[in-house]
Amino acid sequence: MNIGIPRALLYYQYFPMWKTFFEGLGGEIVISPPTTKDIIASGASRVVADTCLPVKVFLGHVLSLIGKCDYIFIPTIRSLKSKIYNCSKFLGLPEMTRAVITDCPPILDVTIDMNKGMRNIYRAIDKLGRCFTRNTSDIKRASLDAWQVHLDYRRLMYQQSFIPPRAMETIAGLDDAGGSSSGTETSYGSPASTEPAIALIGHPYLLYDEYLNHRLIHRLEKAGNRVLTPEMLTSEELESASVKLAGTTYWTYGEEVVGAGEHYLREGADGIIGVLTFGCGPDSLMMEMVRRRASKLKTTPFMSIVLEEHTAETGIITRLEAFLDMINRRKRDGR
Amino acid sequence: MRVSFQHIGNMWVGLKAVADRIGFDMVVPPITSQRTLALGARYSPEMVCLPFKLTLGNMIESLELGADTLITIGQYGPCRFGYYHRVQEVILRDLGYEFELLKQSSGMLRMIRYFTGGASLREIFLAFRFGLAKLKALDDVERLVHKVRAVEQVKGSASQVFRDATRAIDEAKNYRAIKQAKLLHLQKLRDIPTISSVNPLKIGVVGEFFVVVDPFANMDVEIELGKLGVQVERPQSVLEWLDFNPFTLLLGLREKERSFKAAKPYLSRYIGGDGLQTVGEKVLHAKDWDGLVHIEPFGCLPEIMARNIMPSTVEQLPVLNLMFDEHTGRAGVINRLEAFVDMIKRKQKSHLDMRV
Repeated sequence: MNIGIPRALLYYQYFPMWKTFFEGLGGEIVISPPTTKDIIASGASRVVADTCLPVKVFLGHVLSLIGKCDYIFIPTIRSLKSKIYNCSKFLGLPEMTRAVITDCPPILDVTIDMNKGMRNIYRAIDKLGRCFTRNTSDIKRASLDAWQVHLDYRRLMYQQSFIPPRAMETIAGLDDAGGSSSGTETSYGSPASTEPAIALIGHPYLLYDEYLNHRLIHRLEKAGNRVLTPEMLTSEELESASVKLAGTTYWTYGEEVVGAGEHYLREGADGIIGVLTFGCGPDSLMMEMVRRRASKLKTTPFMSIVLEEHTAETGIITRLEAFLDMINRRKRDGR
Repeated sequence: MRVSFQHIGNMWVGLKAVADRIGFDMVVPPITSQRTLALGARYSPEMVCLPFKLTLGNMIESLELGADTLITIGQYGPCRFGYYHRVQEVILRDLGYEFELLKQSSGMLRMIRYFTGGASLREIFLAFRFGLAKLKALDDVERLVHKVRAVEQVKGSASQVFRDATRAIDEAKNYRAIKQAKLLHLQKLRDIPTISSVNPLKIGVVGEFFVVVDPFANMDVEIELGKLGVQVERPQSVLEWLDFNPFTLLLGLREKERSFKAAKPYLSRYIGGDGLQTVGEKVLHAKDWDGLVHIEPFGCLPEIMARNIMPSTVEQLPVLNLMFDEHTGRAGVINRLEAFVDMIKRKQKSHLDMRV
């Protein structure tokens, strides 16, 4: 059975986990290709204009999977902590996909809602597993393996400061080579280095989609900067910083913005770039919180980049260059 | 302590009644105006939705009038509305205002007891019942206003009566006065000369709650539809929103629960705000409404989802979508409403012709 996974939205957070789970149950994974202009255009053509860019990209990826898989996996992450909900777009994702893409392959949907308790989540996972096998112990084993891989994946990011694409490569490499910790032992995670550290804050589906953000990480590294991202912090660090800035988290993935923003404003970064999309509801308020905190603290320069379909690469490059020039000047002056 | 709050539709009538009954000091912010919007928009983040700007404007205007305690109703959920007060607090403090912000998250009852100055539970209950009675009376009058507006001979008469009714009900000191004011104005509405020959179109107005119940925010959509000879049906109201009657809740009699049920085949889960209800209303009223005007603030997350899902329903109903923010022009709204009503009329006529 071929299971299609769109390379968008939650892919960057959970892909290794999903892969282990489905392969453990005898499924085969088909990933959509990296984002292209055509993918965005095809996704955007299906929805109303003011739908946010990440959702358009997601639908484009779903469209590119049609005919290549038997099922498409679209989970609904409603809530990961009690009383903290996800944004509306995530809550209705499977239903919206079904409504706007009528020729969509059957959707494998699992609802994760912490408000209803752990048992409910176990039951949801079990139900998902039953699409493949009737053997409960197989499902249990596959989900435990998957969770272990997810923990490893997270650890690679916050211990060794890998960004998700590299962590994914490493995990896949471990799989093939049977445990040798080969891979890209580059300068990441060596805080002693003198190059400026630029922290990117925002959701993974923006930071690691190279087409969407016009190869932001690549550009920063090429200009001789060390890149920090929210994933390089432990969830405890994110949570405590987030509480400091804005009280208890409000949206499920809010800590990637508020928590990481507050943390990097206080320590570890020479400059912060907030990446958001036009029309993102949660970010429109959370970035404002970070921006206001930055202008009050006056310790770390902050810039935000707003992405949408019409964002021009040149505009981003110009602003990036100006920002980096300023950081370098500050560093040289020893401020 | 001078308590103030943000405007949501006609909620101020009820809250003012509560303050009068218990006898604490309450500043009613000036009715939302262009100035409110300008103030709010100036200090708001650029990409935030309209209710944020309007409520921020309300807060500034009531602080200018000397309020020192602000009530907010943010809680938790997927919609931005619950997060408003945290950002608004930072913005107002950055502007240099000093005040105390009461959040619902610290417990609704504790909050009420605090701002009422430690009133007893009995007092609070009675005061709120009185406030709700006023809102109920207003709702009853408004329902008839919607009917009369469509067929009145002199446009604007019903709206005038409604303004008078609002004032009279607001000034009522006891239940009897409320009832009298209500009956008097219902009679006045019935006395308005009407065009008897027409059978008005029935169009539902649904969407994001705040914009639906706030005539300033939606640029008097209901009045404009009335001018076009349309009878407006509006299932959402402040009263409905505040209605926690356990019987109607348990029996699922409320319009909201019925619409959730109707939406089930297309959207089975709550997605925050009123997105689910919007989808449900279309399905629920496909038969008895001639059209639906779907209104939302620009960039509203749940309503965008609703708008993506609505076209796929089997139940067909013409839908006009209107988005509002500080740049919306009244003429554009009126134009689109006219075209929409014309389209429905033409469609119905051609159906009749075909049957003949």
